[in-house]
Amino acid sequence: MYQYNEVDQKLVDERVEQFRDQTRRFLAGELSEDDFLALRLMNGLYVQRHAPMLRVAGPYNMYNSAQFRKLAHIARTYDKGYAHFTTRTNLQFNWPKLEEVPDILAELATVQMHSIQTSGNCIRNTTTDQFAGVIAEEVEDSRPYCEIIRQWSSLHPEFAYLPRKFKIAISAAPDDRAATQVHDIGLHIIKNEAGEVGFEVIVGGGLGRTPMIGKQINPFLAKEDLLSYLEAIIRVYNMNGRRDNKYKARIKILVQAMGIDKFREEVEAEWAHIRDTDLKLPQEEIDRVKAFFKPFDYDESAAQDNSLEAKLAEDEAFNTWYERNTVAHKVDGYRIAYVSLKPYLKPAGDITADQLDLVADLADRYSFGEIRATHNQNLVLADVKKADLYAVWQVLAEAGLARPNMGTITDMTVCPGGDFCALANARTIGVADQINEKFESLDYLHDLGELKLNMSGCMNACSHHHVGHIGILGVDKKGEEWYQITLGGDDGSDAALGKVIGRAVASDQVANTLEKVVEVYVEKRLEGERFIDTFHRIGMAPFKEYVYAPAN
Amino acid sequence: MPLLINREVVEDSWTLIDEENLQQTGDIIVPLALYNEHKAQFEAHSGQVGIKINGDDNLDEVLENLDKFPLVAVDFPAFRDGRGFSIARHLVRAGYKGEIRATGDVGRDRFAYMERCGFTAIQISDEEFTPDMLNAFTEMSNYYQSAADNIRAVYKQ
Repeated sequence: MYQYNEVDQKLVDERVEQFRDQTRRFLAGELSEDDFLALRLMNGLYVQRHAPMLRVAGPYNMYNSAQFRKLAHIARTYDKGYAHFTTRTNLQFNWPKLEEVPDILAELATVQMHSIQTSGNCIRNTTTDQFAGVIAEEVEDSRPYCEIIRQWSSLHPEFAYLPRKFKIAISAAPDDRAATQVHDIGLHIIKNEAGEVGFEVIVGGGLGRTPMIGKQINPFLAKEDLLSYLEAIIRVYNMNGRRDNKYKARIKILVQAMGIDKFREEVEAEWAHIRDTDLKLPQEEIDRVKAFFKPFDYDESAAQDNSLEAKLAEDEAFNTWYERNTVAHKVDGYRIAYVSLKPYLKPAGDITADQLDLVADLADRYSFGEIRATHNQNLVLADVKKADLYAVWQVLAEAGLARPNMGTITDMTVCPGGDFCALANARTIGVADQINEKFESLDYLHDLGELKLNMSGCMNACSHHHVGHIGILGVDKKGEEWYQITLGGDDGSDAALGKVIGRAVASDQVANTLEKVVEVYVEKRLEGERFIDTFHRIGMAPFKEYVYAPAN
Repeated sequence: MPLLINREVVEDSWTLIDEENLQQTGDIIVPLALYNEHKAQFEAHSGQVGIKINGDDNLDEVLENLDKFPLVAVDFPAFRDGRGFSIARHLVRAGYKGEIRATGDVGRDRFAYMERCGFTAIQISDEEFTPDMLNAFTEMSNYYQSAADNIRAVYKQ
């Protein structure tokens, strides 16, 4: 994992003091509410329904144990003892006091953390595959490039006041786990016919009110051109993106309005000016950053383990967890283990201070001290010896972090909704509970298999409902909460936007409606076919017909 | 209105022109649209003539005529409108050597960014100006990326 040098540390420390002064001037009445708004947002500070909310950056999904312990300390000292992981792999505190935020930031800086650009109309935290560096299928570890982008984009003087927020994601594997096609810029690390590694560049994807799948702007970009090409895209966007309507200000609207070919032309013209400036990435710099992400010293004898097989055979609950919540590692004898933040009847993505400490301890003891967050709001211990899995599972199970539901319908991605968020049109937590109750049976859950459910409390789509295999959108109709259901969305390599099944349903009918949807799937599926594949094969009609059939 | 050049308050010899004071003498700054409307008059003006532009103006037209103007003022119509930062970089890249002045809703917390993007002068309203604003330039002592300010990218330092 990347370690700060003096330059990094000083920059973050100075940023803390800068924000401390901004907060002081605001509290003293020297800075208007509106001017402070833009400044605090660029530092991850929102003012929410009940209290301010502080969003801390988890750069490209990565955390270490010292950082988790610090986050636990902050949750206890400055908040209500818990925190919340977001779909951008960041972490939010929901109850800090405005005047204490500078102190929180100073604490974060001691463990190389910050909240720079976790909000506001600037370049946000770059996200990637939570399995980067530990799966066999990837072309190359994406994290060094994420770090290079993090540095280039941090406090970029030209791009702090873009028309709207700007998100970049990188994927290097055939299975896209970073939802790159619904980002402002998606980068795919690929190998060309000459065997060189570079980037396919996708631009103009996004969700929100006008969901769109990104379009290819460059089929193969050389590594050395990464920063100059990003800068060219964002400069064209900064100059031309709409500023009259914040709902039409994302780059996707510009790309759509200009057409991808015209947009590409503009970017290439800009790029021609800056390609050979010092934005050109030297190989030595790539190598320097890569050195931080070298594979760990894996234990070769781990492959000889045969204790796991015995444990799997004797403990059914462990076996279930192993099947559902662990993934193959590129090194023989190791396994990737999920830490589920989707407990029964509790908000998705929430974690208590004690759980943060506990995961930190597990990471230190069993996984080289590192933890990753996923864009589905779970955590990952990426390097666990097979022989240690049973011990890890026991600790996780005891702490309520081992629900074996990864990738199933109850592994929902859910925003905080109307209970917490001032923007929401509808509540989400009660509906999530309803779904959890309906699909509680593990046998049923595992029989249904991989089924991505995303629920957002408003059309800002923080929980990416457009790309859930099943998506739920809370809407307000004359003061009542209704829920619109979409089917067929996907944020993976075959990215697609879900289609609305029919009229919205009342809040107490959401789980019943989902049950009908999956009944159709169970009835129509072929052997081994996932929900999304059945949907693509048979289309919307059978679902619609059954769900809205008049009651007898 | 206070004017900052080289991080210091300096005397401002320029007057901003609008429809009301078209006959102003001395050094003047003229909004691009007004300049185009009364081109002959301004070309015959006895003092220096600078131009004022914003993100809605046709930048190419300005870039093609840079040698005519000893000063280009880039207006920030609103705090959140960041087009001016890119405009300044375009001017620097085009080799412009005159004064690049930020006007409008500039905001103390953006001074350092403005300087890094190539602005050589920042004009602040009387109500907004306080002497401690000058500290804004030195709050951050290093940067990751190069911009118009000749600081090399961190990996080339």
